[in-house]
This record gives sequence, structure tokens and C-alpha cells, in this order.
Amino acid sequence: MNTSLRAGRRRRKTTAALFLTPFYVLFIATMIVPIGYAIWLSLFTEKTSGLGFGGTRRVFTGLGNYADALGDDKFRDGFIAIGLYCLLYIPIMVGAALVLALLLDSALARARRFFQLALFLPHAVPGIIAALIWVYLYTPGLSPIIDLLESGGLHWDFLASDTALFSIVNIATWEWIGYNMIIFYAALQAIPREVVEAATVDGAGPVRIAVSVKIPMIRAAVAMTMLFTIIGSLQLFTEPSILSDANPAVGSSWTPNMYAYSAAFRANDFGLAAAASVLLAVFAAALSFGVTRLSSGRRTA
Amino acid sequence: MQRTSIRLGTALVGIVTALSLVTACGGGDGDKKKDAGAGPAAGGGPAQKQELSFWSWTKGTQEVVDAFNKSHPDIQVKYEQIPSGNAGGYAKMSNAVKAGNAPDVLTIEYPQLPDFVSQGAVQDITSKVSGLKSKFPASVNKLTELGGKTWAVPLDAAPMALYYRKDFFTDHNIAVPKTWDEYRAAAEQVKKADPNARIGTFYPDDPSTMAGLTWQAGGAWFGTEGESWKVSLTDPNSRKVGEYWNKLVSDDLVRVQPSFSQQWNADLKSGGTVGIVGASWSAGVLKSSQPDLAGKWAVAPLPDWGTPANAMLGGSTFAVSKDSKKSKAALTFIEWMTTTKEGISARIASGTSSAYPAATELVPTASQFFDTGYFGKQDIYPLFTDAAGKVGAGWTWGPSMTQTNTILKDQFGKLSSGGTIVGALEEAQKTTVEELKKRGISVK
Repeated sequence: MNTSLRAGRRRRKTTAALFLTPFYVLFIATMIVPIGYAIWLSLFTEKTSGLGFGGTRRVFTGLGNYADALGDDKFRDGFIAIGLYCLLYIPIMVGAALVLALLLDSALARARRFFQLALFLPHAVPGIIAALIWVYLYTPGLSPIIDLLESGGLHWDFLASDTALFSIVNIATWEWIGYNMIIFYAALQAIPREVVEAATVDGAGPVRIAVSVKIPMIRAAVAMTMLFTIIGSLQLFTEPSILSDANPAVGSSWTPNMYAYSAAFRANDFGLAAAASVLLAVFAAALSFGVTRLSSGRRTA
Repeated sequence: MQRTSIRLGTALVGIVTALSLVTACGGGDGDKKKDAGAGPAAGGGPAQKQELSFWSWTKGTQEVVDAFNKSHPDIQVKYEQIPSGNAGGYAKMSNAVKAGNAPDVLTIEYPQLPDFVSQGAVQDITSKVSGLKSKFPASVNKLTELGGKTWAVPLDAAPMALYYRKDFFTDHNIAVPKTWDEYRAAAEQVKKADPNARIGTFYPDDPSTMAGLTWQAGGAWFGTEGESWKVSLTDPNSRKVGEYWNKLVSDDLVRVQPSFSQQWNADLKSGGTVGIVGASWSAGVLKSSQPDLAGKWAVAPLPDWGTPANAMLGGSTFAVSKDSKKSKAALTFIEWMTTTKEGISARIASGTSSAYPAATELVPTASQFFDTGYFGKQDIYPLFTDAAGKVGAGWTWGPSMTQTNTILKDQFGKLSSGGTIVGALEEAQKTTVEELKKRGISVK
């Protein structure tokens, strides 16, 4: 009796270990090791001498690369650019995704399946392709959109220095609106129908139900989406780098990630690139911790 | 209780997602190890047939490689087309060298050669190519010799030239400019004749044109004095050229568009841009990117500042990568590509290249194989030869041109929001000196 219990427990432990091992192997190989390597890289720099043609040697600099990154205006400007981007992008994208989800969820919606799929489709297009398509659509002389605007007497230069932010936000919104709408829609579907019926019986109209019943009930989903969107925005890279080929106002270090890329692959300074990446990761971690604390704090209050 | 643990879980997921995405960028160079590893493995077989790997983007390369493989059964070149240097090719090559899986033969333009040498990415080939030196002009040899050693073999010399729409200039009675003053006057006439047309383009993404024009004006952004660099991006000649182009831009006499961009091509196609300040290779670019405009373009000498002078814009060299164990075969291939009739004729006969061979004696070969139909039978090679003879010998590329160019490019991007070209040069001067010193390079 006692032995079979112990054997069972042991068997369960082996089974658990068996199931957990692949996760931990992958986790260590694809997560811990690269992060450790990045931190290791960030502690070194390459030095040369004279004209610079005599080869390089690797020198330990401690936190020197971190100081360089933090002391560089271009790196700090990247965070400001991301901040502005978030201020414009998050309200537009989350707001629109929410409205679309509520429309799909409302009793009035027709052809739900079709709209779900049609709105989700842009997300299935890889980011680089999406950015290339949009650069084409932003180019005067090629773009049917600009032709259409011009025929209506509207002049809009998508590739000017002051419209760069908007042009990038537009690409990202197009890519992510459908994805987030599906998340919201799934959350809305999980709301007990009795609650909605009760509100209807109490005399609330569809708009009132959406604002006072549905949105509060999916607040957790909205908060999570916001969190992921902010973290995703910190990683912003593909759209601005593709756009920088067409719009010189989008510089080589427009976002922190582009700064790291530029340091590594243009200046060949892998130490600085690693330091910038680690700083960005720490910032993202701190931010997500802050946001979760804030939203859970509001929940208990 | 359960809720807080879910919160904590979300936070953890967030952190881990963020970290993994961040490091995905830093660790990216590891991925390429696998695909490149397959290539050279076949090389050391008993059949004594050597397989060389070669990365390039220069026009006509496929035809050159095919012809080489046909005539050299003992060496087989495996050619892979990569994006042009500034479009990502240099990053790809640097990464591959760092990861230890670079191809045997690399394509590097003159401005970037010092970058690759100072990274230790290419082999010192001084003793192996000493016999080739006499084939190239001194101004070209100077660009492949750094720190007293030779690192690469040049393909083309790329003297600069002015391309213009002959039909447009004739129709509107505009004289082809011979000096930069006349160029400005012609720019005004072009705009007057057709408010939607411009004589040329300022490329904010490509400082090498600005460098070439400065070279022509007698400036020198970089120079060496003994074992030290001298950086002078803001010398009087650089300022003069910067101010001249700044004025063309601010007076809306030239377009501001990235080089080879969709906008640039669209305006060439529609006739909105009727001129190009380019180099010998631009003829091939025009031919292959604007086939509809055949017969409408002509080439003229680059306008000057009153005294005849020219400069080189771009131009490619071939180098052997650091870890290549087949440098002998690699140099056989490189020598064949750059200094033999067969190599040059295969490239030009492809119809897409108008490279001006660095090996002077092969210019007639290039000229013979270049189909001048596109330029209304205008014999363009003698014009390039004349231009090549006027290239000043005082130019040296700096030890970190990619970085200097990145700074310039970022600053040129601010032209539409109040920046100036001279301001960009000043910023590049300051930052370049700082960066060089940081790397331990001696700067005077």
C-alpha cells in the first residue's frame, strides 16, 4: 500500500519531469543563453591603434558601453519617438479594435464570419511585406491612394518629415487592428448572455450596454492588450526601417531597436549594441511590471 | 489570491516576451551559421576541383561567373547575389565574417574597404597581387592600399558624369552645363520650361555623391599623416560644395529623394527628373531600370568649378575574406574578372553593366562590348576615359565610412525640417572624430 503510493508519486514525478524537460531545454537554449551572451558581449569593446589597420583587440570595459548608450542623445531620442508613437498609436488602434469588436458582437451585425476574417487578414501579412506594400502606397506617382486624394483636391505627403510618425502608426494599425479585435471579440463572447439580457430588460440601449456593461466586463482583456502593445511598440523596428529607405526623415536610430541594429551592423560596435539591447529589455521589464501593478491596484480599489 | 497570481503571470509573460524579442536582434548572427556551412564542404574532394563561394551585387556578375566556370574546370565559383552594400550587403558580409562562414570572395566598394580592413575581415594580399599593380592607375591603387598593404583588387574606376534627357534639353533650348554655375542656370531653365521637371536629385540617403563632388572640388574628407588620421569634412571645399547643393535644394531646383528609390524611378520614368549626376556605372543602371527611355538619354562630362576635374563615385573591388583557405583560387578568379578581356567582356556583354574597367588596357574591350543603342549610338567610353584622366589623386576614404555616412545620412534627413548640408558636415566631423578616438585610432 505504502510502497505503491510512493511508486505512484515517483512515476508522477518522472512524468512531470518528462513533460517539463523540453520546455526548460528550449527555454535555456533560446532565452537564457542568448540573454547571457548579450550581457557578456555588452561588457567588452574593440580597440585598435594608429591608423586602425593593424587589427583589433577585445577590451573589457565594464559598464562603459551602458554609459555610452545612456549618454547618447540618439538612443534617448529613440525612447521619445516610441513615446510619441504610443500616444498616437494605442488610442487609435485599441479604440478602433474595441469599436469593431463591439459592432461584431452587437445583435445588429451581419456576416460576422466574413468580417472577422477580412479584418484579421492584414495580420497574416508579414510585417516586412506590409511595410513594403505601404511604402508603395505612400509613394507619389505610384500610389493609387495619393491619386485618389489628389483627384479630390487633397494633398498629403506621406513621406514628409512631419508625417513620418503618422505613416508608421498607420501601417502598425492596419497590421494589428484585426488581431486585437479578435481578442476583444472572444472576451465579449464570454460575457454571460443573462447579464446583457438583464440590461436590455432594464431598458438600456445597445450603446449603453456596450459602454456600461460590456466594456467593464472585458477590462482585463483590454489591459492585457495594452500591455502587449506597449511592449511590442518598444520593439518597433521593421516598419520604420523599411520606411527609412523612402523617407530620409526616419533616421538610422529612430527607435532604440534601430539604434542597436545600427550600432552592430553599421558601426560594428557589438558591445554598444548589446548594451543598448539589455537596457531596452530592462526598460520593457520595468514598464510591464509597472503597468501590471497599476492595473491590479486599480482592480482591488 | 488567484487574481494576483494571474497578474504576476501576465507580468512574467510580458518580461519574457520583451527579453526574447530584444535578444532576438542581438543573437541574429548565429542563425546564418547553418546555411553557409553547406557551401565550402564540397571543396576539398579528391578530384582537386575547388569550389569558391562569392557574394556580389554588381551588374553582369552572373554572366561573368558562368563564363569563368566554363573556362576553368578546376575552379567552380558558386555565386550568390546579395543586396547591394548599403542596402544590407555590407551588414550581411560583416556578420558572416564574424560568424566564421563568409564566402571566399567579397565585393567591397572603395569607401567601405577601410572599414573591412580595420575589422580584420579581409586578407592581406600584398605579395600575391604585386604583379597586377601596373595595370591600374595610381589614383585607384591608392584606394586599395591601406597602411602600406594591399587588400583588394579593383574592378572599375567609376569616374563621374552628367546624364541628361537629350530630347528635353533640345526641345527647350537648354545648353548642357559645363560648369556648376551653368548647371544652376540650367536647373532654373528646366524648372521654367516645365514646372514639374527638375534637372537632378539630391540623395539624402547617399552621402557618397556629396563625397565625389567634394573630391572633384579639391576637398579631402580624410587624409593620413604618418600614423594618424586627419579628418576634414568641413574644409573650405567641402563647405563650398555643401552650400552650393543646399541652395539648389532650398530653391527647389532639384528633387530630394533617396537614391534608386521608387520615387526616384517613378520621376525618371514620367520625365519629371531630366538629369542624373552619376558615374560610369549609371549608364547600366539607366539601361536596365528605364528601358522605355531608350534613345532619349545622353551623357556629358561632369560640370566643374572652372578648372577641369573629376572624381570617382563608388566603384567596386574584390577581396578575399579572412578565413578563406582558398586564397590562391580566389585570386585566380578575381584576377580573371578584373584584368582579362574575357572577364570584362562577359560583364559588359550582359547588357546590364557599364563598368569602366580599372585596368586601363581593357577600356577598349569594354567599349567594344557595350551596346550604345540606349544612348542613341553615343560613344560613351571615350568620355569616361577623358573623365578618368581628370580624377584627382588626393582622396582617401576614412577608416569608418559606413559610420560617417550613417551620421551624414541622418543629418541629411533633416534638410526638410530646417537642417543644412554644412550643418550635417559639421556634425559628421565632430562625431567621426569622437568615434575614431573611442576606438583607439589616432586622430590629428
